[in-house]
Amino acid sequence: MDDYKFLFKVVLVGNAGVGKTCLVRRFTQGLFPPGQGATIGVDFMIKTVEVGNEKVKLQIWDTAGQERFRSITQSYYRSAHALILVYDISCQPTFDCLTDWLREIEEYASCKVLRVLVGNKIDREDREIPTHVGEEFAERHNMYYLETSAKQSDNVERLFMQIAEDLMKQARSRDLPRYNSNHQNINGTTTPISDSSCCSGKFINAIVIFGKPTACIHCS
Amino acid sequence: MDSNISKYADMQKAIQMELEKLETEEATLIEGLNNMLNQKVFLEDKVKGLSKLIPSLKVIKNEAQDLVNTVNDISDSSEKISSKIRSLDKARSRVDECQLRVSDLIDLEICSQGVQAAILDSDYEKGAAHVHRFLSMDQSLLKRTANDMDNVSNMLKSVRTLQDAASQLRAIVEHKFNEAVTTEDLLSIERFFKIFPLLGMHEEGIKEFCTYLRSKVCLVADKNLKSAINTPVSDKRYSVIYADTLTLLFEGLARVLDKHQPLIETYYGPGRLLSAISILQKECDVQTKRVLLEWARSRQIHKKVQQINELSRMSSSSSFSKMEKIDPKDLDILIGEITLMHYRTELYIKFIQRKVTSDADVGIPNQDERTKVVQSLEKLIKNSELSQCKHELLSHYLRLEQYYMEESVAKAVAMDTLEPGQQTSSMVDDTFFIIRKCIRRSISTGSLDGICVIINNACRVLESDFGEILRQRLRQGYPSGYLDLTQAYNVLHTSIQQGRLQSGDTEQSRTAFVVALNNADSSTDYIDALCEYVMKEIGQSVPNLNANEKGKLESCLSGLSSVTTNLKDLIEYGTQQLRSTAIKPRINPWVDAFLNANHHLTEDELSAYEAGESFVQTLIMNLETLLSSFKDILSSSNYDLFTQVLTAEVTNRFEKVIKKCTFNRLGGLVLDKEVRSLAGYMTANTSWSVRDKFARLTQMATVLNLEQVAEIHDYWGSHDGALTWRLTPSELRSVLSLRTDFKVEDIRRLKL
Repeated sequence: MDDYKFLFKVVLVGNAGVGKTCLVRRFTQGLFPPGQGATIGVDFMIKTVEVGNEKVKLQIWDTAGQERFRSITQSYYRSAHALILVYDISCQPTFDCLTDWLREIEEYASCKVLRVLVGNKIDREDREIPTHVGEEFAERHNMYYLETSAKQSDNVERLFMQIAEDLMKQARSRDLPRYNSNHQNINGTTTPISDSSCCSGKFINAIVIFGKPTACIHCS
Repeated sequence: MDSNISKYADMQKAIQMELEKLETEEATLIEGLNNMLNQKVFLEDKVKGLSKLIPSLKVIKNEAQDLVNTVNDISDSSEKISSKIRSLDKARSRVDECQLRVSDLIDLEICSQGVQAAILDSDYEKGAAHVHRFLSMDQSLLKRTANDMDNVSNMLKSVRTLQDAASQLRAIVEHKFNEAVTTEDLLSIERFFKIFPLLGMHEEGIKEFCTYLRSKVCLVADKNLKSAINTPVSDKRYSVIYADTLTLLFEGLARVLDKHQPLIETYYGPGRLLSAISILQKECDVQTKRVLLEWARSRQIHKKVQQINELSRMSSSSSFSKMEKIDPKDLDILIGEITLMHYRTELYIKFIQRKVTSDADVGIPNQDERTKVVQSLEKLIKNSELSQCKHELLSHYLRLEQYYMEESVAKAVAMDTLEPGQQTSSMVDDTFFIIRKCIRRSISTGSLDGICVIINNACRVLESDFGEILRQRLRQGYPSGYLDLTQAYNVLHTSIQQGRLQSGDTEQSRTAFVVALNNADSSTDYIDALCEYVMKEIGQSVPNLNANEKGKLESCLSGLSSVTTNLKDLIEYGTQQLRSTAIKPRINPWVDAFLNANHHLTEDELSAYEAGESFVQTLIMNLETLLSSFKDILSSSNYDLFTQVLTAEVTNRFEKVIKKCTFNRLGGLVLDKEVRSLAGYMTANTSWSVRDKFARLTQMATVLNLEQVAEIHDYWGSHDGALTWRLTPSELRSVLSLRTDFKVEDIRRLKL
């Protein structure tokens, strides 16, 4: 039952009511529950998918968009492998808040977290944010961009599968240097381990590999 | 003639044959006649018997005819009877209906007469009972009766009277109830409360009654809040006075519910608790909000949270520490109060859920409707101010707790001290004490989300604030110091001459390094214990987690194990530091001394060598000194790691050195002895099994200790005495060639 090769944490964030829970439900259960109430705190779902014959377990954290749950949701950013930032294409304010969300991500998440921008609700007729505006924003901030409809199940599967594939690629390429770096230092002096100060601010997660100047756990 | 004769002969023959034929025919006929004759008597008897039967057959035929007639008659008459019964039945049901109508009419009459009298007598129970009787009549039947009757006006009058009386009564009861409420007349309140359902005013009754209860709750809550506000600071409950007030409110509400639920159930029937609770919940919302407002004002919660937010923003930018910091200790009590408030709120919500669900289970048999009730309860709770307040409390708690944890750990790290004789410094004990305390406190909020967040924060603090310090210390390295006494003496000498003595500094950074290594090791134990503790504690305090909630918790706890992984990497890194600065530089010259020894010994030299201080004795003595200098200061598992690394280094170096020497027979013998005693020493003095690490070395010594090249076959091959070789055939050949007395051709000829 629990035979998976990779486990990734995916965290969804974004304003209240943009459809985070619906996206997760659609992907994990194939449902579109209408009249979904606001999420309290964080919800937690698991789905195992297959990528190239490998089982990948996705742990999906669906966070509450409301301000008063911020202190709960923020604590999940740090351990996330991927962050999905969601807005509602028919609601300008949810798009305007993206920069605030990005600031939060910068502050709390690891620097190498995979970031995906999602414009949800493309089934709606009353679009306010054109596709190219979302695309440009994503490009400017180094994110993937995808437009989805949880209601009509457009791109939802693709969104999560893409994330699973990318994270797997990342994990594979990260594995290699880790195992090759055990060569020993013969000359008998202390090798200082330099900070590669890629991790912003106060959350430096270091793994130290002897003789190898490296190491942020997310970047190595 | 002849022809005639033959003709006659033929004719005679034919006649003869004809005659014979006739004779046989005759015989047959006679036999037949005889038979007939024989049967004649028998047949005559039969005919006689039959003719006797004829008259009785005639009788039977007549009787059968009679029977058929009779059966026909019976069927006809039964047909007649059943139709009569049917019409009788119909008649009876009509009579029943008629009776009912009549009794309804009579009751109607009685009720219409009685109700007015009852109202006049202020006997509202009786009046309501009349109305109840009226309401329980089949209204459509009543209408039909009216159509059938001649005297319509009379009856319609009664109906109208009763309808009037009903509305009159409703108004009166409502009015009287309100009057009773204003005059606080408990008896009347209860009296009229019981009348409402008789008048078909279930919802109104519950609404009026609960509104009354609401006002009572409000009064008490008012009083409690006032006394909370006026509580002097010196009061010993002062620090939790608002939690107490909130508790009183919830307890009061729970008591009201418990007390009045049976009343509602008896007079209104089960399944109506949700309506009652939804009214009381409004008061609960109002009062909770008031208490929390007062609490926030009195404890200056918003100011504190804001200050903390600013502090954390400042600390991420460079201009730090200009702001006045809040001492985490000062928050201790406040955090305690919040957890208590949150927990009580959680308990009250659970109480309501339990009450309504069990009431619905009893009172609503329909599954769908029951689900509907449960759903509207969830909605009621979710949208209530109470839930909002609960979320706000949790949010405050998390902010404060996070700050408390960060600041306290920072303090613990800053005040780190090493007691003499201890392997770890105070920061480990202190940090884990703090983290355990915070997690325990989060568990006491009763909120799984809260617990998860604090665990997440603990992981972050352990990895960055705490682990980072350890990493920095290990990164300083272990100062190798002086390799031997002469060097040390020289340095010491010059230092004294120049008036400075650094050995203290070196000693200090060595200690710092070793302590950091031990701290990392002991932290991994602490984390294991912490995980176990959390699981146990949650099992007790927040039981009945569903699979999803368990998954959530486990996922957060797995963050702690990744902290352990990082610490293990850190320890590995530290051990490698020790290898390069504390082990290698010392061991190399000790092992290299082997190069200076004579490996081409004569018998005499051998005994002299054995009498004196041999190479291996010196080596063991040196190793002993090195090991003992670390044995007490390193934690036991770190010491294990240390000996592993040490053994690997010694064996590696020894191998290299051996390859640089040449041996004669006795030289090989001595080497074999020395390797054995070295392996013996290491095995005896370390808990780590080092035999494996010595395997290659021992095998080299064995090879060098052979009498003749060909003896190798005793050890090589697939027979019983053979060894599992760690040396490759080519390595083995090159080791053999170190023996000067072995011929190159012999070695080359070996089939390996």
